[in-house]
Amino acid sequence: MPPPFKGEMELIEKAIKDFEEGKRRNTAVISDPFYGESELLEWVWERTGGGALRVKAGSLKEDFEILERSSAKIAIVEEAHRLYLRKIGGFDLMDRFINFVSSSERLFITTWNSFSWKYLDEVLGIGQHFPMKIELPGMDAGKIRDMLLSGYEEGELNFVEEEKDETEEPKILKRSSFKISLLGERIEIPRPEVDLNSIRSRFHKVEEKRPPMEIFFGKLARISDGNPGVAELLWKEALDYPKVRDCLVDLPSIDLDLDDSFALNVILSMGSVDLADLSEVLEPVGTSAERAAALLEERGLVFIDGEVVSLRAEALKRTAEHLRRARLVW
Amino acid sequence: MAENATAQLSGTGVAIPDIGIDPSAIISALLLLAIAYIAVRIVVFLLGRLSERAYEHRITVKMAIPIAKLAIYGFAVYHILSSVVQLSTNQLIAFSGLAGAAIGFGLKDLVAEVVGGVVIVLDKPFQVGDKVRIDDHYGEVTDIGLRATRLVTPDDNLVTVSNQRVLSQTLANANAGSLEMQVVIDLFIDSSSDAPKAMRILREAAVTSKYVYISNKRPVTILMRDHPFYSMVRARVYVNDIRYEFKFETDVTKRAWEVFKREGIEPPKAGVVDLGGGPAASAG
Repeated sequence: MPPPFKGEMELIEKAIKDFEEGKRRNTAVISDPFYGESELLEWVWERTGGGALRVKAGSLKEDFEILERSSAKIAIVEEAHRLYLRKIGGFDLMDRFINFVSSSERLFITTWNSFSWKYLDEVLGIGQHFPMKIELPGMDAGKIRDMLLSGYEEGELNFVEEEKDETEEPKILKRSSFKISLLGERIEIPRPEVDLNSIRSRFHKVEEKRPPMEIFFGKLARISDGNPGVAELLWKEALDYPKVRDCLVDLPSIDLDLDDSFALNVILSMGSVDLADLSEVLEPVGTSAERAAALLEERGLVFIDGEVVSLRAEALKRTAEHLRRARLVW
Repeated sequence: MAENATAQLSGTGVAIPDIGIDPSAIISALLLLAIAYIAVRIVVFLLGRLSERAYEHRITVKMAIPIAKLAIYGFAVYHILSSVVQLSTNQLIAFSGLAGAAIGFGLKDLVAEVVGGVVIVLDKPFQVGDKVRIDDHYGEVTDIGLRATRLVTPDDNLVTVSNQRVLSQTLANANAGSLEMQVVIDLFIDSSSDAPKAMRILREAAVTSKYVYISNKRPVTILMRDHPFYSMVRARVYVNDIRYEFKFETDVTKRAWEVFKREGIEPPKAGVVDLGGGPAASAG
């Protein structure tokens, strides 16, 4: 179920045609993690008749000369953001790549993590080397529904509402307290606290009057932030053919200190990162990569698979929101 | 309120106004001021807590604190004059005369400070949360009161400067309401060291820091100045939150020097660096 890339395909088609006519416009396809842009690159590769050089940027770390050796006129470089690490000396390979892109006569079609792209554009000004920038947009509920239901007949799936336990209705006002020091004594003063999630869920109750399918896809678009890759992952969790269960849950807001937020930022900027690379970034600033990764995994924001730390798809929206608030993402 | 506005002071023949304010009005006025004071403390507490939860909008929320204080105290004074004391025209004239005399003789400084506070709130040369230099004091503004402005220095000293003095002094505001501010980081290296490499390392140390903030309007600038026995490399770069100013400087300096040492970039020989306002201090 690849996301529909019609507009993006037209832009890349135009870039290729212009290149064939002698006008080179290197292309950067910029998207959030999990978006599913590799399907677009697959189409580009087929469009070139398989004659383009297609490499993952990670492999250029081992063998950069593969770019120089190839005689292909078009080079497709996936996940170009993997050519840098956020540390002193971590931009050398990216600088080399950018110099190569600028001085080469080939057309480069590249994909980038949107968070890394913004960072690198501010730090290295990479935007000027890629005149054609294609930012993959978030999708609304209707487009996500069309994408996910494209392989099903109408009425084939049964959207089931989860039974709600009314007795466990969250209260708007919760009892909380704050502590003050008075005459050397710590005094706890009770105070009411407004539960914003409860208010939000009450607002969403209005949705109950709409058909379950509409409610489901509205919620899916909101939780996935319109990211088709995230939506598809959540869809797979909800699909119990032929039933689709409304098991989508908004993650709570993230509360992390600056060190752990920075570690999360590094992971978000790459989508997934080797623990060794994470260590190279975090050790000089006095943070243990293992400890940070374990804490982030415990919070349900990342998962560790062997030596690789990856962002959880369902945590993408909350992570980006948190890092913007913390001003680690600009 | 007494209808008879004047009375003869026995034996002197001098007419003084009988403003006719009864004790209950004074008690009511004092009570109202006390309520206003408590209300101000509550509002300041709540807005302070809210601002800390507002992350990137912290300073915007804090901007409301002095305005709220001014509004509450202003309303209290207005209410005392209009409803509690209920001055007639004659009383108002008498009150104005007394107030004028009081201001002229003893309270002129206090009034100047209060007026200064109002001017600061309305003119906004700085806001609560800004980093400013007033006189020789540098720190984060924590409170703009009716009488004085308070700032906390990096050494955690609470400095109180009267509003009148704040307005009469040259004031330097490092962030002017923004959460980010420019930090200048100077590193001194021996003149035989590779200065361009040092500039590159310093730049990378700055842009990779967790405290950095970069945008079109907030670029990173690296400068160099050569001296007879040493060179100075300077980074002009923005920290993402004014509270991290010194941590940012430390982080960049520490990591840059770790790499300087690996790359054979040496510090200047002892005693050659002029840090006292010489040409080095004015570079860039």
